Order: sequence, then C-alpha cells, then structure tokens
Amino acid sequence: MSRLLMTGNAAAAWGARLAGVEYVPAFPITPQTEIIEMLAGWCERGEMSARLTMYESEHSMVTGAASAAATGVRTFTATSSQGLLYAMEMVFAAPGWRAPFVLVNVSRALASPITLEPDHTDVLAARDSGFIQIHCATCQEVLDSVLIAYRLAEHPRVRLPVLVNQDGFHLSFTREPVDLPEEARVRAFLPPFDAHQAGFRASRPVSQVVAVLGGSPYSYFRYQVHLAQREALDVYDELAAEFAAAFGRHHGAIETYRCDDAEVVFVLIGSLAGQAKQAADRLREAGLKVGVVRPRLLRPYPASALRAALRGKQAVAVVDQNLSMGSGGVLYAELAGALQGCEYMPLLVSFIGGLGGRDIGDAEFFAMANEARDAARRREVPEPRLLYTARELRELRKLQAIAGTGGVQEETR
Amino acid sequence: MKTAANILGDALFATGYEVQDAPRYGAERRGAPMFAYVRAADRTIVERGAIVTPDLVVVADAGLLGIPAAGVMQGASEATWLFVNSTEPAQAIRAQWRYPGQVVSWPAGFTPPAMHNAAATSASCAGAAARMLGVIARETFESALIAQSTGRSAGAIETTRSQGLAAFDAMGGVDRCVPEGGEHPATPPASPDWIELGADDAALAAPDIYAQATSEQARTGLWRSHRPVIDYEHCNRCSWVCSTLCPDSAIRVDEDRTPRIHYDHCKGCMVCVLVCPAHAIRQVSEQAAQAQEIEP
Amino acid sequence: MSEQPYKSLKDLPRSHALSPGTAMCAGCGGLEALHEALDVLGRKTVVVNAAGCMTLLANYPYTPFHGSWLYTSMASAPAGAQGVRDALDILRDRGRLADTDDLTAVVLTGDGSAYGMGLSATSAAIERGLDFIYLCYDNEGYGNTGQQSSAATPHAAKTSTSAGTQGYAGEKKDLFAVWAAHKPSYVATVIGADPLDLARKVQRAAALKGPRLILALAPCPTGWDFDPGDTVEIGRLAVKTGIWPLKEYADGRIVHTRVPNPRVPVEEYLTRQGRFRHLFEPERNDALIAAIQARVDRYWDDVG
Repeated sequence: MSRLLMTGNAAAAWGARLAGVEYVPAFPITPQTEIIEMLAGWCERGEMSARLTMYESEHSMVTGAASAAATGVRTFTATSSQGLLYAMEMVFAAPGWRAPFVLVNVSRALASPITLEPDHTDVLAARDSGFIQIHCATCQEVLDSVLIAYRLAEHPRVRLPVLVNQDGFHLSFTREPVDLPEEARVRAFLPPFDAHQAGFRASRPVSQVVAVLGGSPYSYFRYQVHLAQREALDVYDELAAEFAAAFGRHHGAIETYRCDDAEVVFVLIGSLAGQAKQAADRLREAGLKVGVVRPRLLRPYPASALRAALRGKQAVAVVDQNLSMGSGGVLYAELAGALQGCEYMPLLVSFIGGLGGRDIGDAEFFAMANEARDAARRREVPEPRLLYTARELRELRKLQAIAGTGGVQEETR
Repeated sequence: MKTAANILGDALFATGYEVQDAPRYGAERRGAPMFAYVRAADRTIVERGAIVTPDLVVVADAGLLGIPAAGVMQGASEATWLFVNSTEPAQAIRAQWRYPGQVVSWPAGFTPPAMHNAAATSASCAGAAARMLGVIARETFESALIAQSTGRSAGAIETTRSQGLAAFDAMGGVDRCVPEGGEHPATPPASPDWIELGADDAALAAPDIYAQATSEQARTGLWRSHRPVIDYEHCNRCSWVCSTLCPDSAIRVDEDRTPRIHYDHCKGCMVCVLVCPAHAIRQVSEQAAQAQEIEP
Repeated sequence: MSEQPYKSLKDLPRSHALSPGTAMCAGCGGLEALHEALDVLGRKTVVVNAAGCMTLLANYPYTPFHGSWLYTSMASAPAGAQGVRDALDILRDRGRLADTDDLTAVVLTGDGSAYGMGLSATSAAIERGLDFIYLCYDNEGYGNTGQQSSAATPHAAKTSTSAGTQGYAGEKKDLFAVWAAHKPSYVATVIGADPLDLARKVQRAAALKGPRLILALAPCPTGWDFDPGDTVEIGRLAVKTGIWPLKEYADGRIVHTRVPNPRVPVEEYLTRQGRFRHLFEPERNDALIAAIQARVDRYWDDVG
C-alpha cells in the first residue's frame, strides 16, 4: 500500500483500475473529464487491461454501459451534472435491467443559469431511478467506494447499478493523501465479475427488457428493484465490515461524528461534512454540544440508522446543498419522513446552502446550530432558510447594474 | 368499438346524463379484438376503468363468443343483457353459448352491414344499444352519429347515419329492455388478500424471457374476421410465395412443399390470397369457417 | 445462413427465424421485411431495439425470437449495440466466449428513430466502425403513435399532424445518402415485397464486417390507410413506379439492383393509399401529383 497525493477524479480512476474494470464507455464533461482521460491513458499504454469507447453523448454512454454489463463484463463510466441529466432516460431504465455497473458522478450544479461549480441537485434528480447512491466526503472514500460499489452491484441479492458521488472541485480537483491499496488485496476483496447465467450467448438466447402490459406485472418488476435496494442495506453493512477488515477503513451507511451526547446535530451529505465537523468542534468549545450525521448511502435510504443516531437529540439542522423548487431541501423532506411517528425525535430545521459552489463558513454553521437550538426551545419549526447574506445581495445588485435592469425601475427592485 | 362507445356516449350526454366512455387498448394493433366502455348516470360518475358488472354487453364480432380468452362474457350475470351483431336467432345464440342472461340479436329480415365496414358496424351496434337502453330520442341519436363522423366524406357520413338509424329503428321490439343498473350492494367488499412481496432472484425479477418463441402461445388468430383457405388441388407447391410474404410467419411449408396456414396465429390480412400465383387461396368468412369446423 | 448466393426464389430459406403471435398489425410490411431478413441472418443474432412499433414484438412473457433481444430507448439503440458488441469482443479476447457463442448485433428501429432521434447515435456508431447491422423498418411516420409526420414522411402525404389539403410540406430525408456519406461497409434499400432482392442484400451484408444498413420501406396498412392484403402490391408499386429505388452501396459505389423500365406512373401507387386520397378527392391536385412524378423522374434521370 502506498500513500499518494491525488484528486478525487484520480481516486475514481484508480478505483476503476484496481477493480479490474474491463469496459469504460466514456464522454467528457467538466469536472469529470479527468477520470476518463486517466483511464484512456492507462488503456492506451497497456497499464490497464480495459477497452475504452468514446460515445457521442451521455445518453448513449449509459446505454452502452448497461448493455455491456448485461452482456457480462465489468463496466465503469462517469459523468456529471448536465451529462447525468442528458442520460437520465437510461439512468432510470438501467436498474430494471438488473445489470450491475458503477457510475461515478461528479456533482455540479445544474442550469439555468449554467455554472461549473458543485451542488447536489444533479445527483438527487437521479434519486428515484433505482441506482444505488453512495456519497463521498474525501478522495479516499471515492476510491474505496468504487471498490465496495462493485461488490454491492454484483451481489446476487442486489444486481443493480451503483452511483458513486463526489463533489466537483471540492473533491474532483482537490489533491489530498490517499492510500492506494495493493492490487492483490483488492482482488481478494473483489474477485472478477461473475455474471452467472446473465448475458447474450448464441447457445443461451434471451429476450431482455421487454414491455409488460398492465399495472400488475409492472408493479411486480418495479417493486423488485425497490426490494433489491432494501436487500442492499444489509449487504452494504456486511461489505463495509469486510472492507474494514481488509483495508482498515470503515465506511458505514451513515457516518456519525460526536453525536453521542450532542444536543444539536447537522445532517448533510458530501464533502461539506468536513466543514460541519470543524464547526462542531468549535461550537463545543463555545459550549453547545454539536454533532454531525452524514448519510453515505442515500439509496437505499438508511432510515433506521438515522433514527437511531438522531433519537433523543434536541434539534437537527439539515443542510441541503440542493433545491427542490417549490418544496425546499430534499434531505430535509426525506428525513422528516423517516422520523415521522418515532418517539423522542428532534425538531428539524431546514437550511438551503452551498448552491452552485457557494461556501459555507464557520459563522454560518454557528448561526444554524443556534437557530436550530432556539427553535427546539420554542418548539416552533421555522421556515426553511436560504443561506444568503446582505453583502451577497449588494454584490449581486452591482452585477445587475452592469447588466442593465431590463426596464425594471430602481424603486421596484 | 371505440366509435360505437363515442356515439353512445355523445347521445347519452345530449340526453342529459353524466357520461364516461373509454376505449381499452392492449399491445395489439388494429385488427386485434378490443373493448370500449360506456357509463351513464344521473349524477357525477366517480368510478373509472373497466366495468366489472355490466348491464349490457354489445358484441360486434360474434366470432369472439366462442373464444374464452376474448373475455366477452366477463362479469356477465343473469341480469346482464347481451346484444350480438348476428342475424342468428337470439335463443340459438343463448343456447349455444349457455349465456346466463337475456340475449338479443338482429330481428329477422334485418341485414346488418358487413363486418369489415368498421364505421357502419360501429354505428349499427350503437343503434341497437341505444334502442335497448330506450332513453335516447331518435333525433339525439342521429346527431351523435353525425357528430362522430366529422371529418369523413359526405358519403361516409351518410352511410354511418343511415346504418345507425336503420339499426335503431329495427330494434323497436326491444325498446328499453335494459333496466337501469342498481346501487352497489350494502355489504362491504371482501378482503383484497394483500401479501408481503419478497425479493426474488434478479434473473426472475427482471422482465426477461429465457424461453424461445413463446409468442406462439399468443393466439393472434382471434383477430380475424375472415380467413385464408388453401385449395390444395390448385396449390402448385411453389414452396415459398405465401410462406415468405406472410408478414407473420404464420404459413409454414412441410417437407413435401405443402404450405400450412397456422390458424392460431393468422391475423387474416389476406396477403397470401392476393399473392398466390396459382390463385389457390381464397378468403372465407371466419364465422362460416368456424361453423363448418363445428358441424363438418 | 446459406453460404451459396441466392440465385432464385427457390433458394430462399423455408424455415422462419421469427415466430408468429406478435402484436404487429395484420399486413405489417415492416414485420414482413424483418422476418425475411432474420430468416437469412439466422438465430445467432441479438436484436437491439429502439422505441417504435416493434417495441412490442416482445411483451412479457411472449417473444417471437429464437435468438436474443434487448430493448434500449428511442435514441440509443446503436449505443446498445456498441455496448453489446464491445462486451462480446472483450469476452472473446479473454477466452470467456466461445466463437460458436458469438452473436451478430442487429439494431432494429423504425424511421422515427433512424431518421431522427437516433441519428446522432447512429452516425457515431458508424464513425466508430461498429460491427453491426442496422435494420430500419421505414413506414414513413411515427406509426406506433398513430402516424404523425416524421423525417421519413414523403412530400404531400397525409399524416395525423399534416392532415391539410397539401399533406406533409417537407421532403423525405435521404437516409441512404446520409449513411453512404459516412462511408460504411454497406448500405441497401429493400422491400419485403421483393424477398429475393432483400435476401441477397442481407446475405451480402452478413458476409461483411463494420456498419451495415438494411433500409426497408414498410408499407403500413394503418398509417398509410390501405387494406392489409395490399401490402405486397403496394410494395411492388413503390418499386415499379421508381418511388422506392432498390439499390446498394459498397466500396464507394452505388448500384441499382432493380431498375423499373418502363416506370409505372406514380399515380398508380398514390391512388392505392388513403394518405394520398386528398390528391384525387374532392378535386384532383394535378400540380402536386405532377411534382411528385417530376421528383421521381429527376432521380432516375440523375442516376442515368
């Protein structure tokens, strides 16, 4: 095992290489492109024994990935943002094929307006697709999660594609130390893909992915994907334990940080968790017992683990780096659903922050924790809040002044 | 049948009823048996979907009666009236198919339009149904016939109008024979027998077909109103023309070069009749062919 | 598959590789061409399908195939074929697939996908040199949804979105030329009504590698409004009038495999179909009929 500085993108590429991936359908998009460039270089130089095919769109790329997986080869692909959305028809179709493969999504905020910086609205649009979703907070986790993802995807009780998510820029372009596991040990943890009887062979014809008539067979097949996801909850725990035994790093379905005695807990996903942990430490120094809960698995949703972690807390500040227009934060609504009807459950307070890569600093984590605690004391659920300051609005007005007001009068603005 | 349901729906609506009509489509394309439903009530209709207990069943293709898979009699009880687009006496139909309720067919002397004329058949079936319900005035029904022919040629509109009205007039003997359906029974419905669905093996839980050529179990022969019949005395055993050009691969050639039509699957397109170089295939009405099969 | 070239109709396969019992319309010209092509290709095929009429060839638990089938989406069937082909190659290279277990990837789409939504994926598959056969059943409209106009709809045809007195205002896209411009291995137009020409072309395509298109005009009783029994006759008229030239492209050359001489006036083809009835009723539209004829004449003048 060697310890190297590498970006999240490099970690994803190394994950695919160490996993013994045989096929890589590819298409470029910022901030993911580096992954396929690295893989292409390795394939070209013979350092990785895989075939990389450039497709002409993400929609075709995901079709190709699912088709190759259905034919019985270990397949890896990656995309981001608009690309994930362009592929969305096939992202929703592929889980029903029950063909296992891994897709790394590098989260980037969606148009409009178009931007390059991260938030999670892209990956959450794929939430209901049937893909399993693993959300990473460090570059190490990206690499490790790709390895675990193949075991999970190919597990006989699961057989579903897995999406491993990392934040654009904060992980994708950020170098940090990563333990690179030895190939032999990876192979012991992750043997070659056993497709069992799946795949197209002249001697074993099959008609795959056929239409059904009527809601009854449709309900059965769709619900089977859901049930396979529920199976994946248990399978994931087993695999995480096995991975920890082999490599000394445990990546649970949820990560908890200083939660045991916490009064207020931040719930959030992705690399922003680091900021939250640091804020929790400082808040504790200031006298407020704060913890952090970070779901790594978002699909299947680890509801019982979240209930166990949050039971008895006073307040939870859910920080959603996404926006469901007309409703609010996606994590908040999901968590409220998971806790509904449980005893000793905390008051939930919703914050929308970090859209399009906007930073969230210590001061804001302090304010969120205090607002959540105060709300719990008052037993009142405040309106969801967008993290947006007076200074930001002033700066925006300056931009609008340059852009012109489009006929809007000064006083009505 | 969708058109018949629309005509009936229009007429009932114009009469003052709340109405719901809908076709029910399957995977099959034009030519396959299809259903349509009409509901009418003097209050808002909240129920939707297939009618489970119909008051009146209208069968445009009498050939479907003998085919259980067609489901023509589904939900029919002693209280359900059955109209069959046939000139056979109603009592004979009732006896032949052991129908539990009352059966009506065309009165003696009435000539219904040919089955392949779908628009006229729809109009006449709607006419029979309208008269059996007995709540639709003749002028109202006429307007509905015309309204549903919008966009067609003047000749086609006139055919629809005259066929529909002829049927309406011919059925005077059974005017208002179908009583209005009653309320739902007061007893609560039986338990739906829900189960906890478990996860199956992925191979089973995917919409994949591992067996080959299972479509042979689908009896598309039900679609036919006419069938091609090979006159083997004239067939010149060319060994390929009908079999190759049959879109459905429903004609197989034996070892001795004799073509065999698979009637379970033949949809009755009649391509083979028109392409046979020896003119050895003729078109026979399905009803006549079936009758011959039953009483050879 | 027969190794000997088909010399006459007597040589055509007598067993069928596609079973009956499908949900296609009675008299479907696309199904006719598909089964004739599969009869030649045999059962060692994986048919990769795009959304269209033929999506419902296989509906659970019924399939007409003796070989394999994979449904993808309207836009990405060639990408599905790419994934399958690449995976089969990988498996073969690694000794996990016996040569006898290999399959020919056959994309099957209608004109809606082939001329429109799937064209980008098709172009890319050709430029990558994908080893596949693309079989398009071209019924000149979005037939599965009730025949709206597509990029394959001929000028003046009535569709459910061009139901005015002049019919469809656009021109049918020349997909043969679009393919040929990519310099693929093989491109051919066929029609189910001429099974010998079709079988020869499919046989020739099967012997080649790389991207190959078999483009079948698919007379459509429902979409074109004619009696299902007339499918073959209308197909023959499409060829005899010169409206549907039967030709092939290989090695940079285009060869016409059937040259109608003399050509039957287009009117004979048009009058047989409800979708052109507005050219004759209530009044004859001589200008439009002449324009259609002129376009056909110009085509044949140009090819000499």
